[in-house]
Amino acid sequence: MSFRLTSRRSAVASLLMPLALLVAIPHASAATLEEIQKRGYLVVATEDDFRPFEFVKDGKPTGFDNEMVEALKKYAKFEIRQEILPWTGILAGVATGKYDIAITAAIITKERAQSLDFTSPIADATHYYVKRKGDDSIKSIKDLNGKTVGVQAGSALLGRLPELKAMIEKEGGKMGKIVEYTSYPEAYQDLALKRTDYVVNTVINLKSLVAEKGAVFELGQPVSGKSYPAWAIKKGNADLLAYMNKFIAEQKANGTMPALQKKWFGESFTLPVTFTPEF
Amino acid sequence: MSHGDILAIFNGALTTLLLSAAGIALGLPIGLGLALLRWARVPVIAPIVAVYVSLLRATPLVTLLLLLFFALPNVGVPIGPLSAGVLALTMNTAAFNCEVWRASLMDFPKEQIEAAQSVGMRRGLRFRRIVFPQVLRTSLTGLINEMSLLIKVTPVLAVVGVVDITRAAQRIGAETYEPLPPFLVAVAIYIPIVFALVSVQRLIERRNLRLEAAA
Repeated sequence: MSFRLTSRRSAVASLLMPLALLVAIPHASAATLEEIQKRGYLVVATEDDFRPFEFVKDGKPTGFDNEMVEALKKYAKFEIRQEILPWTGILAGVATGKYDIAITAAIITKERAQSLDFTSPIADATHYYVKRKGDDSIKSIKDLNGKTVGVQAGSALLGRLPELKAMIEKEGGKMGKIVEYTSYPEAYQDLALKRTDYVVNTVINLKSLVAEKGAVFELGQPVSGKSYPAWAIKKGNADLLAYMNKFIAEQKANGTMPALQKKWFGESFTLPVTFTPEF
Repeated sequence: MSHGDILAIFNGALTTLLLSAAGIALGLPIGLGLALLRWARVPVIAPIVAVYVSLLRATPLVTLLLLLFFALPNVGVPIGPLSAGVLALTMNTAAFNCEVWRASLMDFPKEQIEAAQSVGMRRGLRFRRIVFPQVLRTSLTGLINEMSLLIKVTPVLAVVGVVDITRAAQRIGAETYEPLPPFLVAVAIYIPIVFALVSVQRLIERRNLRLEAAA
């Protein structure tokens, strides 16, 4: 009997050991610029379903951020290794040091700024709502009273819905039900299927949607103040941040970035070099 | 949907097939090994196996995968999306396979083993000639069932960047804003894959019946 007990206890101990190790060893930090230059490559993470920033066409990554990655490949003296994965794993991967930088449209928020550093903004992306074309029950913010909204889970769009709530309440209404999706294609589909009444996303994404599916969707009004997407780097990696900001500044100056903005977003923007989020 | 899109889904199908095949090929023998360790009541190891199987059966695949993918590099084991995917699938399916094998082993008639012992058959020979062929037959349905589940759980691996059938379809939907056609193509690919697996099961079952009738 005593043998059984000890063996069971040692069994549990041997299983907990690796877990204990995981906790005990401090998290491997993301590579500094010096380490990146020494080992000769930078690990970049991008998304695959956030048109027009990043998406996959005929099996090849394309969109604004992917063309910026192409420009970075020419600019950088080290190799660029790209990983393409869904939004769900991206920021966690940067925070744990798995990827050095997320070259995706991560909107700068107060909460994210606690664990991540952001580069200079890459676009001007005020949040708008989109509705079904021909849905006459929604004409202004006031009409969003009690309507069901679709938004991406874990997104800055979701995080800033309180702003919209305040706007609706100012008009004497109240915020309706909020439905969260893992990514936007599902949210648009549910809007088309009348499961939701409107979807909130950045004006850039929604303009791209309406340009493609103008018969189904119609752009509404802004539902937030200023909002800027940028690339995310692990907090405290100051050298890499400075390097990327220099890269962005140079792409602005040589006209590459405005041209890509015009190509993918339909307009180019005058953007601040740094942005401190209010939300 | 363009030709390139269809090609992308077929590339995803290749990934799904390779990952599932790797998971099955590794998970089957490991599951059997674990079941044998428990069946033989190997001291110290058998209870560890029992705890392992309980933990793995209780852990959702996606949680296990994220844990492996983000935690292993922290302890100095660099791991890519594909290898993390195979590792998670194998760990998961081995636990379930272990229980299928074990159920058959526990139901195995003791008299047969005693009969083999009485004619002086050694343990290894006993297992190869008497236990394994019969246990394989009784486990088959459960094992094939677990395999078809494994194939259909592969979309979970997309979370670390593996592009399987479903993820390839999702990407196309995100590009065209028309999610339905790619999903229909995806379903049309899953069905023959699982159907082929079930056909193999039918084939083996029929052959066994014939052999039994002949005996």
